[in-house]
This record gives sequence, structure tokens and C-alpha cells, in this order.
Amino acid sequence: MKKDILETKKGNFEITVTVNGELKELSVKNGEFLLDALRRHGWKGTKKGCDTGDCGSCTVILNGRAVLGCLVPAVAAHGGELTTIEGLGTVRDPHPLQEAFVEAGAVQCGFCIPGMILSSKALLDRAPRPTEAEIRKALDGNLCRCTGYVKQVEAVKNASARLAGGKRKRG
Amino acid sequence: MPDIIVKPASLKELWKTLPGLPAARRYLAGGTDIVTADNAGVERSECWVDISDLPELAGVEETAAALVIGAGEKISGLERSAAVRRWCPVLVSAIPHFASPSLRNMATLGGNAGNASPCADGVCALVAEGAFVRLELKGKRRRLPLKDLFTGPKRTALRRDELITAFEVPKRRHAGAYLKLGPRSYFGISKAAVAVAAELERGAVKSASVALGSVAPVPLYAAGVSAWLAGRPLSAGTAVEAAARVKAEVSPITDARSEAEYRREMCGVLLERALLSLAR
Repeated sequence: MKKDILETKKGNFEITVTVNGELKELSVKNGEFLLDALRRHGWKGTKKGCDTGDCGSCTVILNGRAVLGCLVPAVAAHGGELTTIEGLGTVRDPHPLQEAFVEAGAVQCGFCIPGMILSSKALLDRAPRPTEAEIRKALDGNLCRCTGYVKQVEAVKNASARLAGGKRKRG
Repeated sequence: MPDIIVKPASLKELWKTLPGLPAARRYLAGGTDIVTADNAGVERSECWVDISDLPELAGVEETAAALVIGAGEKISGLERSAAVRRWCPVLVSAIPHFASPSLRNMATLGGNAGNASPCADGVCALVAEGAFVRLELKGKRRRLPLKDLFTGPKRTALRRDELITAFEVPKRRHAGAYLKLGPRSYFGISKAAVAVAAELERGAVKSASVALGSVAPVPLYAAGVSAWLAGRPLSAGTAVEAAARVKAEVSPITDARSEAEYRREMCGVLLERALLSLAR
């Protein structure tokens, strides 16, 4: 990895970031936030909702922590390790959290879901069998304007059971 | 966002880099305040000095007399620290009220103090804990009681380029509570908040410190009621009298979040509840 950020031309920088396990060199613009840089480079699963750190739809996992892409200057991610929703599963082989969200009917318009799922993943990585109160607290920075939160909480509970080797529940 | 963001790898490098940077510069820690201020057009620095990964500012360390909390440690790191749970009951009680989980993964107590908002939950809790703040400027260090760091809304006693490096919380056995009144249970900015730390002995208050958020130009240390509580029994009567006294110490304003008189009244209610919660 390069030690310093290299200025390629005025206002553009090359940063080195591991995105979903792949080492990438990304050109980012002066004044660009991580959220916008990711979207511009094609990772459009990361959603731009409020752009003020309130709604949680731009949640990504940076160096093991769920953070908000809209508040991180893109250059500050240099040298970091990043997981976006694209890194969790595929259409053919979804992550248990993704399956559980679909099965519980937790997805309506879907805009908040990438952030919800990454916040949930950060929770389950830390606490594999969370209580309902812990799930609600972990998701309190992720706003959903369609369904409310009952189904998402149920989905995280089901995913946690599945990941911990519990019985597979079909919705 | 300013055109220049620099990220020194160590404190030594920071002091070496600073003189060459534009004069209108600010430290960037978690970014959760400064970036939103930038988006709103009220932050207009020409340069941000990113201190979010400075190793000297990270971690929590115990000395013989104090718990030393790195100013750059993320709030979520403190949330999971056994030493913090042991020595900082007020802070522990405040953390769930501090923004949201993802913001706690970014935000730091150093940033919370440097931003000097009267509503800062982490700072209010630390003031009640009797914390000191460690400052450094080009290798020169000083130490202040945290309550003396704040000189007005968003104003501090920090000198130009001076950096908050750590907080020291004196190690002592004490109980603590943090009660926040906001628009909802979690993830809101307070209308009023009360932090109480108390050393208890046989049902009485040996010493207490009360701090309040969002009801004065600064995170307020309520010296009067703190002194008054010392030596009193921890009873319903004491809680009621303390509630009446604290209302005289605050100077709330009416703004978008709440009204002055309501806030003053709630300071009493919250302090009474907080004291009674310690008795249980």
C-alpha cells in the first residue's frame, strides 16, 4: 500500500482502500465524502438519504466499525478496510441477514435496508445473540419511513438464530 | 469541506506539520459535529487536521489515582471498556443517550469537549465525574478541571492549535446517574440533562457533583447544589430540596428545542429523579 495519498491532478487524489475484500485504488475529488465517492465508483448500494448524519442509510463498515459515509471525508478512508452492502452476499447466495429481512417482510421501498443490514451485521459481529432491546438500540440510528421497525427487529432476531446455528425459520 | 485535509501519523509529526498549514485550520476528530457544521455552511476552515487515528489519543489507561481516557477514543470503545464501567458510572449512564450507534463509532470525547456545545452529553457526564482535561501545544502540556475549559457556547479556553489529548477521571468509589430529557428516548438532542456523581456512605451523601446540559451557555457545573448535598441523607426530602435549589443555578434559554421555563422546571425534576435512583 502506498504510504501517502498521492495528488494526481489538482483537486483529485488517489486513495488505496480495501473494498469488500478487494484492494482498490480510487480517484476521489477534493471535498468529496466517502458516500459520494463510493456511489460514483459504482457501489450504489450505499444510499444517500439525509446527507447530514441522521438517517443511517449511508452506513458502511470501515475498519470494523459501522460509520456514516456522509460524514467521512473520502480521503480519510485511505488505507482503510471497507464493507458495503455489496460485500455481504449475492442475489444467488444472500447473507443470512438479507434472507431474514426478505422473509420477515422487513423491506418495503428498500432505501434504508443496506444501512439497516450493515448496522445489524456490526451488532451480530459483536453480540451474536442480542436481546430485542439490544437490537432496537443498535438500529436506533437507522430510520425507516415505510414500515416502522417491528419486522426489521424480527428479521435480526431470526438471522441471529440462524447464524448461531439455530433452526431455520421460513416466513 | 476545506481543500486541505492533512492526517499526521503521530503527535510529533503533528507539531512539525502545523506551522506550514493555512491559518484557518481546525482539528477533525470524529467529524460528527464539524462535518455537519460544514454542510450547513457555518464551518469555513481552509484546512482540517485529521487527528482521528493519532495513536497517542487512543485507548483508556489506569494509573494509581485516575482513569485516563484518550481524547480520540471512540465513544463506542468506551462503551465496551471494563475500566470505564468500573470508574465512570455517570459516563456509562450517559453513553446510551449519546447520538446513535454509528455516530458513537465515530465521535470522541475530545471532539465533544472541543466543540463546546452546552448540550454535549459526554462532556456533561465527565464534568460530574470531576474530570480534568489534559491539553498539549507543541509538546507543552497543561491540565485543567474540565468545567473550566468552557467559556461560552462553542467557546473554550483552548489556545490556538492546542489539542485536547486526554481526560483524567479520579478513581473513587461512587454512584452515578445521567438523565436526559429529549424529543424521544434515544438519538435526540437534549432539552435538559442532569448528571450526578455521589460518594455515598451509610445512606448519606459524602460528596456530590451535579452537572447540567442544555440549560446554560456552557455544560454547567452546579457548584451550589453540589456543595449543599454533602453530608445530607440520601432521602426524598433531600432530593426535593436539591431540586428546588438547582433551578436557581441554571440559566436556560428558549430556542428551537424547548422553552426556558420548562427547561428550568425539568432540571429540578431530573435531579430529584437522579438522586432517588442513586438511593435504590
